Amino acid sequence: MKFGQLVIAGLVTGSIYAVFAVCVSVWYRVSNILNLAVGDFAMLGALGVDDLVRVRNWPLPAAIAVTLVTVAAFGYLYDRVVLHLAQDGRRVHEGIVITFFFTFALSFFIDGVAKVLFGTDVHAAPALWSGRSLSLLSGLHVERAGLLVLACAVICGSMFWLYIRYTLGGKAMEASGENALGARIVGIDTRRYRRIIFTGTAVLAAVFGIIESPITGYTYLSGATISLTGFIAAAYGGFRQPGRALVAGLVIGVTEALLGGYVSAEYGDTVLYAILAALVLAWPRGLGFEAAVGG
Amino acid sequence: MKSFRPFTVILVVGVVVVVAFGQQYAGSVFVLALCYGIVTAGMAVQIGFSQQIVFSQCVFMAFGAYGVAMLNTHLGMASLVATPVVMVAAGLVALLLGAVVTRASGLALAVATLMLPLIATGYISSAGYLGGSVGAPLTGNLWPGSSTQSIAIGNGLVTVVILGLVVLAASRILSSDVGLELYVLGVDEPTAAAMGVRTPRRRLELFVLGSVFAALGGAVYAGTQLFVPATLASPTAELALLMMLFVGGRRSVLGAVAGAVAIQYLSGASNWVSVNILIVEGVLLTAILLIDPDGLAGITRSLATRLRPRSAVAPPTPSVSSAPPALFTPSALPSPHEEDRVLLECDEVSKEYGGLTVLDDVTLTLPPRGLFGLCGPNGAGKSTLLGIIGGSVPAARGRILLDGEDVTRLPPQQRFGLGVSRTFQAVHLIGGRTVLDNVAVACLTSHRSGLVTRLFRSELAAARQRAAQTLDRLGMTALSGRDVSSLTLESQRMVELARAVAPGPRLLLLDEPASGLSDAERRRLGELLTELAGLTCVLLVEHDLDLVAQISQRIFVLAGGRLVFDGGPADFRTSPVVNSLLVGL
Repeated sequence: MKFGQLVIAGLVTGSIYAVFAVCVSVWYRVSNILNLAVGDFAMLGALGVDDLVRVRNWPLPAAIAVTLVTVAAFGYLYDRVVLHLAQDGRRVHEGIVITFFFTFALSFFIDGVAKVLFGTDVHAAPALWSGRSLSLLSGLHVERAGLLVLACAVICGSMFWLYIRYTLGGKAMEASGENALGARIVGIDTRRYRRIIFTGTAVLAAVFGIIESPITGYTYLSGATISLTGFIAAAYGGFRQPGRALVAGLVIGVTEALLGGYVSAEYGDTVLYAILAALVLAWPRGLGFEAAVGG
Repeated sequence: MKSFRPFTVILVVGVVVVVAFGQQYAGSVFVLALCYGIVTAGMAVQIGFSQQIVFSQCVFMAFGAYGVAMLNTHLGMASLVATPVVMVAAGLVALLLGAVVTRASGLALAVATLMLPLIATGYISSAGYLGGSVGAPLTGNLWPGSSTQSIAIGNGLVTVVILGLVVLAASRILSSDVGLELYVLGVDEPTAAAMGVRTPRRRLELFVLGSVFAALGGAVYAGTQLFVPATLASPTAELALLMMLFVGGRRSVLGAVAGAVAIQYLSGASNWVSVNILIVEGVLLTAILLIDPDGLAGITRSLATRLRPRSAVAPPTPSVSSAPPALFTPSALPSPHEEDRVLLECDEVSKEYGGLTVLDDVTLTLPPRGLFGLCGPNGAGKSTLLGIIGGSVPAARGRILLDGEDVTRLPPQQRFGLGVSRTFQAVHLIGGRTVLDNVAVACLTSHRSGLVTRLFRSELAAARQRAAQTLDRLGMTALSGRDVSSLTLESQRMVELARAVAPGPRLLLLDEPASGLSDAERRRLGELLTELAGLTCVLLVEHDLDLVAQISQRIFVLAGGRLVFDGGPADFRTSPVVNSLLVGL
């Protein structure tokens, strides 16, 4: 009973991790850039919709549409200006480290803008599927928003997998990440794919922020926390593999809930992080870290 | 001396600012910035220069700060006394933790250490004796003065001196022979190992060094700010430190300090900026990285290069004594009556990659001198065999004996120490350093020395001298000041050959040194190899069969992981096995 309830709660938080892990690893696979700003786009989506609906009294669909278009425009512009200068210019900034710090700066910037626009309080977008929590078999309860998050995680994850696996565009996209120069030589416009994926993952993150925020509530600083959990889950999926990142996210969520429920509410997270650190140290090759470094 | 310059800069600027502004707000911001500077100076060594990305500095900074606060509050120990105590404790903790954590490298190291701030924050917020989620106050100033005036100035001056010493230590390490080891370790760890760098040990030392500096910064922070906020150990604090490092210049110690000062100064500069500090930092970091990935230090350097007249920036070439008589003196030249001795013995060596057999019971022996060819079609296992002899690839079965000693389990750095030197199939040079330094990497004598001992005694000059002699002997002196990245492929191959030859190896492993060379260059290479073969044992992997047959005294042919031919050049040319395999007859 308690176990079932904990697993359900864990699956819900896990699917949040999973989604952001998928965003991080998809983008890494295409562009070789670890994007630390994914969580900030989620925060932007949630707080943007909240601001338009609550403060400016817009209808919900219009608020969502405008927020998503704004996020997409921002992502597009960022790619066009900063990433273009950084990666397509006279001096190419190579190496994971430097490009990672571009997204690190972006994350700071978005947080700063969000602070100006939305203030420092905790807010959330209006629930998309409101109502009491649903009762499942044998008295287990699940939040509606949680169910939505889980469903979206599975749908987006599998759609991306199908895209990579079965379409020419997906293969071209994968090629740009494997070997950008080689991909360009055979006529793949790697910059276009980088732009599509950067804008796409930004919008996807914003959508998840909107769906998920009724559960946890966001402040302008929530982005870093979300990115961090997504980043960790993506790391355990070997960074390049969205499918494994999704599973890793779910497993981490469930473990977290079980540790919180059975071990200690206070030290559950600490134990979780210790386990995660131990896993990396004990089994780096198996988790795909070496491959990620080499690639 | 050049390595004292950063120390002097810090001391002069620091003392002037502290004396002039010590009691004002600007002075207190400056001192706070210097506390962070102590931490970022260590980060420049560990994260920037040696590229060991860790996220644990904030944890050790908090360790230092809380340590001083606890010793001061509960034991009444003066902050100035508590600081060294805490540093020693941090060193011990870092040693224990590092022994576990630095078994990983690269991304695994980064992710594993990313957990440390998360664990520490969770612990601190629920530990009552540390003040929980608020923090811990203390009363002991770093400088136990009597008036607020003398305390402010005293705190500032002590901080400046500590930072100066930290910067001095960091920049002396970076400019020493161990500094060159660390640079190679950061750029290309397998090459570092093949050149004798004890990579696991260096990684651990770097972790301890970065952690101790961070703890020292934290201790000074506690002694000057008189309050330790619980957020000091949070991931956000780590991000703030990284921001300072990257704005200032990740590879420069002075730059890292400048970054800390710049960010701290900015956050207090004006009301608008301190409210919108995240936007300002985000834009600033983006702009700086776009201009120069080496931050403020890189920008300053390129400005200085542009302003200075050309002649002044020409790299110094060490003077070369009159040409040495031989190419090199082998580290252990066998005495003549031992000529029939065996140097290398591969005993039934096998290797599989995931079920695919790459080497199958290969047995061969080599004497102390001579040139031996190793041929075979693509995928025959030649490079794998070279890797197994060099130690970079572990053998699945079989033994490698060097001078009768079983070295099968020894890592590449120890085999290098026994006289095994190699080149790689794809060129593995250290970009961003000169030809001279690339060759000097193989002549270092610092492998067994600790990081800290090289503060006082660097033998980089001797290594460069030896490298210069080798380059001179190979007729490459003109190249010695050039950055290796600016060379043509054939020059790069020659530099790699020079690097392999320079230490005077007993066994030289060359993986396709002739590929990409013109006919004239091949001839020159052949003459050089023949000369080398009179001094040492050379095992040459090569596709150019004419070259191999011309210069080798014995040739091995691998096919499908098995040794299918072993004989002299005359048999090699006529052997039906060789012809069908390699010539296609």
